[in-house]
Amino acid sequence: MVKAVKGVVVECDTSVKQIILGLNEKGQFIIEDLDDTHVFVDASCVEQLRYDIDEILNENTYKVEESK
Amino acid sequence: MTVQVEHSNRRRRDDGPIHDIGEPEDQDIDEDFSDRLIVPKHATMDATAQAHNFQRDSVSYIFGDHDYTWLPLKQDHESRPLWITEDGHIILEGFSPIAEKAIDFLITIAEPVSRPSHIHEYKLTPYSLYAAVSVGLETEDIIEVLSRLSKVPVPESILSLIRDCTLSYGKVKLVLKHNRYFVESSHPEMLQTLLRDPVIKESRLVGDEDPNSAEGLITGKAPNAKDLTIPGIKKDVQDPNKAEATADAATPATAQGDEEIFAVVGLDRDDDDGENDDVHSFEISSTSVETVKKRCNELDYPMLEEYDFRNDTLNPDLEIDLKPITVIRPYQEKSLSKMFGNGRARSGIIVLPCGAGKTLVGITAACTVKKSTLVLCTSSVSVLQWKQQFLLWSNIKPHQIAMFTSDQKEKFLGAAGIVISTYSMVANTRNRSHDSQKMMNFLKSREWGFLLLDEVHVVPANMFRKVLTTIAAHAKLGLTATLVREDEKIDDLNFLIGPKLYEANWMDLASRGHIANVQCAEVWCPMTPAFYREYLRENSRKRTLLYVMNPNKFQACQYLIRYHEERGDKIIVFSDNVFALVAYARKLEKPFIYGETSQQERVRILQNFQHNPKINTIFLSKVGDTSIDLPEATCLIQVSSHYGSRRQEAQRLGRILRAKRRNDEGFNAFFYSLVSKDTQEMYYSTKRQQFLIDQGYAFKVITNLDGMDQETDLVYSTAAEQLSLLQTVLLARESEADLNDDVEPDADDLTGNTSRRSGGVGGGSVLSRAGGSSIAGGSNGAKRSVGGLKSLSGGDQMAYIEYNKAVNLKEKDKKADHHSLFKKFYNKK
Repeated sequence: MVKAVKGVVVECDTSVKQIILGLNEKGQFIIEDLDDTHVFVDASCVEQLRYDIDEILNENTYKVEESK
Repeated sequence: MTVQVEHSNRRRRDDGPIHDIGEPEDQDIDEDFSDRLIVPKHATMDATAQAHNFQRDSVSYIFGDHDYTWLPLKQDHESRPLWITEDGHIILEGFSPIAEKAIDFLITIAEPVSRPSHIHEYKLTPYSLYAAVSVGLETEDIIEVLSRLSKVPVPESILSLIRDCTLSYGKVKLVLKHNRYFVESSHPEMLQTLLRDPVIKESRLVGDEDPNSAEGLITGKAPNAKDLTIPGIKKDVQDPNKAEATADAATPATAQGDEEIFAVVGLDRDDDDGENDDVHSFEISSTSVETVKKRCNELDYPMLEEYDFRNDTLNPDLEIDLKPITVIRPYQEKSLSKMFGNGRARSGIIVLPCGAGKTLVGITAACTVKKSTLVLCTSSVSVLQWKQQFLLWSNIKPHQIAMFTSDQKEKFLGAAGIVISTYSMVANTRNRSHDSQKMMNFLKSREWGFLLLDEVHVVPANMFRKVLTTIAAHAKLGLTATLVREDEKIDDLNFLIGPKLYEANWMDLASRGHIANVQCAEVWCPMTPAFYREYLRENSRKRTLLYVMNPNKFQACQYLIRYHEERGDKIIVFSDNVFALVAYARKLEKPFIYGETSQQERVRILQNFQHNPKINTIFLSKVGDTSIDLPEATCLIQVSSHYGSRRQEAQRLGRILRAKRRNDEGFNAFFYSLVSKDTQEMYYSTKRQQFLIDQGYAFKVITNLDGMDQETDLVYSTAAEQLSLLQTVLLARESEADLNDDVEPDADDLTGNTSRRSGGVGGGSVLSRAGGSSIAGGSNGAKRSVGGLKSLSGGDQMAYIEYNKAVNLKEKDKKADHHSLFKKFYNKK
């Protein structure tokens, strides 16, 4: 029987792709690794993926915070 | 509205809670010391905002607590340049026609927080108010001028802050006259209060020579600066304060309302001159000075220290004067006039940008005091530089200057002279050699008229205390470029040395050509996929190494060096990480200096950099951060840096501010910061820039270096090379990522560091490769180093490496990577 999985092509720069690959090690969601800047991932994981990537990238940003 | 936006956008100046990585050398503050340091209780005061009920509008939420729409504006607010908020922030419209006068005033009473070109922000703090009082401003004058300049009524909280802080502080002075200590004040009732205290009463000396004192106080004329000339200032400007005041008052006012304001700004100085005419004093015995000082702090009447050097007959005069050709610049004159304002020497700190001639200010001050002077700086290199500067600018005889470092221990000839030394030499408590012990006894045994402290911000407070207690000095002057510390311990300096006397505006000096115009840029280098993959996996220490060694950064660095060498620039590349420093310098075949590089080698590399047209680039570790004076350098590239240290960023920028060619038409110096994208470095980089941004510098972000893709023969251009680099990095010891394993700047002079960690890379051999053809002599002369018998007999790690060279050929770049078993053994040593 044919099994269909809905997928989304993600285009990103090389370093973000490395983050995605890293996340993939925890929970498999990549369907096909296309090339340096494209991956094809499970559509149901996109929201979670977006959140995780934001999280990781935020670690490296200096936030402008209010002083007391 | 503009103002409020500015305010809420203000970046946090203190450390973030998570990435709280300060300066290791800053954190040495003695724990129990902070308890013992007696700070008047007002020093911890802060103006606080109260809640207000007012109509909030649709954008209020953006401003949070900083919504000031309820503040009533004065009728003629347009001609007034200041906004004052309840929590002590003062915001100045830099474009206002009277801004310049307002700045002069604000700089005396408040701390500058941020000074870009159009809007300046200042903050009123107890310390800044102390400083204001110490230069002679009166409480009511401050309040009056503030309310005249302000668009809004001065809030109650500010008024009470000013009153509380200025009421007692600075009204009592400890004056050293004719080598006797006097407690002096222009308010006799204050002295009466003090005398009622049993401790102070006890230490009082009642002389017979005060017949004119009805209440037991000596009354006399206040000193003024009339017959004092600071050398280098033109003779006709004999009273710097007066001249300034008249200049202020005489400035043609543009509008009727403005005139009024000026008059006050000018007036408060005149007032001060007039009021001080009668001073009252009583004498205390010199043995009880410390107790009285402490007691006064406890009583909340902290004393200012002044040194009446002109009437000091006990200490012999030093024949020193500026050479006639030496001209000091207007801002230097201004800072000195703050120090010698009433004809006596006040202790305090002067803040000038790097390269703006701090040294000359120090020398001029020494020439004014004309007593024995002790200069303390951070490294032996700067000791040499201070000596050269003294000989260059003043007519002092070479035999009157002595240096006290680990290599040189000399005394000056004659009754008075100058000694230049380092903090660590003087504060060292470990065993000393016989020579230096003798020298220390000499330093301790005499009274110093003037103590000059270079780069005061770097020195840990406990070291300071040690210095200040062992050395008897009458006047202290601290010099620094960056009065910020990540640990916010800067306030302690106020009580150890004195208040901040003057702080210059960087942008202002740059526009007048005193320091170079600098183009700052942050270059974003993308991480290569392989490096980034490892970066995500590694622990945080290794991460540092990965983002520093990023091949794209390597290429960007190489490209920038090539580009600027072709333009004829002299380039300094900074890397805090020694591993990266060596790797970069070796790969790009440039000479480098780091902690282990011997003194001779350093001097030779620096001289080559200055005079040899073939050496246009040098690599420096953080030993080059301060006090290396290289006026030739016009371009600076920063490869790795000390986390988020704002001070380091500013110090490094200072290396090119003094560029010789700064007055050439359209000359720009360049400051590049190479940052690996999507890494922690981005965070640190932004944080580091805060200080410079507050000084008004703008950082350009370069995401793509034009023309770099057309360059051929860039290093690490093939995937294979990049992989082998990655291997090297991954195999490197974790400790290599440590930024601190380089010699601490202030440890520079302690003996023994030449052979420290000799198992590492052999320093400096690159020079003979890169510039060998043009250097006579070569580098293989005798090298003096201190070491144990073991290392002298070759039993050190050096020999071990030689042995295994063949086996470890593949790991060429990471010599001395011991097996964990051996590591234990080596650590034990």
